[in-house]
Amino acid sequence: MLELKNLTFTAQNTDANGRSSLRTIIDNVSYTFEKGKFYAITGPNGSGKTTLAKLIMGINEATSGSVIFEGKEITGYSITDRARAGIAYSFQNPARFKGTTCRDLLAMAAKTEDEKVIVDIITRVGICSLDFLDKPVDARLSGGEIKKIELATTIALNPRVAIYDEPDTGIDLWTIDPMVKLLKKEQKNHNTTTIVVSHNRAFLEAADVLLLIKDGKIIYRGNLKGALPLLNDFSLCSFTNVCEGEVNARCYR
Amino acid sequence: MLDAIDKELLKKVAELEGIPKGAYNIRKNGKLLNREVSANINIETNPQGNGIIITIKPGTKNESVHIPVIVSQAGLNDVVYNNFIVGEDSDVTIVAGCGIHCGSSEKQGHEGIHEFRVGKNAKMKYVEKHVAIGSGKGKRSLNPTTKVFLEQDAYAEMELSQIGGVDSANRLNEAELGPGSSMLITERVMTDGNQIATSRNQITLKGDNCKANMISRSVIKGDSIQNFYATLDAQAKCFGHIECDAIIMDNGRNETIPALKAGHPDAELTHEASIGKIANDQLMKLMSLGLTYDEAVNRIIQGFLK
Repeated sequence: MLELKNLTFTAQNTDANGRSSLRTIIDNVSYTFEKGKFYAITGPNGSGKTTLAKLIMGINEATSGSVIFEGKEITGYSITDRARAGIAYSFQNPARFKGTTCRDLLAMAAKTEDEKVIVDIITRVGICSLDFLDKPVDARLSGGEIKKIELATTIALNPRVAIYDEPDTGIDLWTIDPMVKLLKKEQKNHNTTTIVVSHNRAFLEAADVLLLIKDGKIIYRGNLKGALPLLNDFSLCSFTNVCEGEVNARCYR
Repeated sequence: MLDAIDKELLKKVAELEGIPKGAYNIRKNGKLLNREVSANINIETNPQGNGIIITIKPGTKNESVHIPVIVSQAGLNDVVYNNFIVGEDSDVTIVAGCGIHCGSSEKQGHEGIHEFRVGKNAKMKYVEKHVAIGSGKGKRSLNPTTKVFLEQDAYAEMELSQIGGVDSANRLNEAELGPGSSMLITERVMTDGNQIATSRNQITLKGDNCKANMISRSVIKGDSIQNFYATLDAQAKCFGHIECDAIIMDNGRNETIPALKAGHPDAELTHEASIGKIANDQLMKLMSLGLTYDEAVNRIIQGFLK
């Protein structure tokens, strides 16, 4: 239902001496996400996970390649057009606004000011207090609170594809499991194709399919068990000094 | 009698659909149009004949007084001196504001000089809106002054806004806070075209344990200019905070200077100031909810000035 075809994203890189060069962040990625499945995208820092997610949402513009959603080419679509087509994106570091309240954001997402609908959404993400609705989404909200609001706005859109970029950032340990359950429930109840960018094992375990990204390429697709040797390698790599990318440095790759 | 333009202006500046309930004083083109007093709120013309004295009896609770001004006469610059005496232990809302309708090429303006004495333990909310409408090319100016004196444990909340159409505004807010008193000033100004708005604020924290919080929100569109100056002068053990944010759109220009003066070793004063365009992450968030770029800008500005 969501197909990436030879998707590439390059960015201008300027070094300390002011010399600029092109750096490929996403390198010719092709993949098809199936309807209603739960995907986890993981990989080392700087591997291109978030960039890939942003390319799907149109936050970053692809240098080449295409994105096809439900049979329609949407590569040229703006963020707005993609949102209206049914793709939602939950930001890793949600924007903070002066004056705009949680209620305002949720009403925009749910396309209604009906308090019953809004209360139902915040209850689903584990916010019980009604007072919370009229708080501005500004610097006074804690990291965990703002992430819950971010999640709530994504859920309120009732999307066909929901992308969550590191949803557990700033969330306390006790909330992660309920959050995984919530995303699974949304996936199940609404047949939402769910894509979670995360390092957290709880999300990787919950996924139907795990995509492992390194150097802008998908190097593994499958279940968590199969990915474990590679993941362990990422976290414990002792070959960084001799590693030359594709060239075998006697590591497990 | 109120005509259609008067009604529109009253609605914009005082959210009134017609003649208000309770005490009110409507001034039109420099003259009294209508006045009503209540059992607890008296309004009388001052001895100089250039303004009104509003006296709120001690202990008056949950009452309001409306004192809107309408300027629709070409070439008129209306100057008015109003005094408010808010009695001890009272809790009242004062709704002021000025609406200019300009239909010609002549200048029109209003200068309201408002002085408040808020008695011991009294609570006052003051709401002031300024707007100018009409198709005339005449310059519309609004130069308000507020001077507030808070007695012991008094509380004042001031909501000051300029919502559009005013070519030139020079605002001066002065306040003197007594012991245990507190004050919250929120100023919201939007300018466009070649408009200029300047706000000067001088808050003197005189009594022990008094508190002042000044919030300014500016939206500067077109080629307009806004300047904001605020000084907290602490002369006692007190707390003061200034928060001033400006969003610049198009070619707007802004100068923001918050100043803190601690004349007492136990004064706690802070400020935060920012000037900039609408943050990209805010726009992207709202666009990801399905809003267009322009809709997202409008919603962010609306929230910011709310």
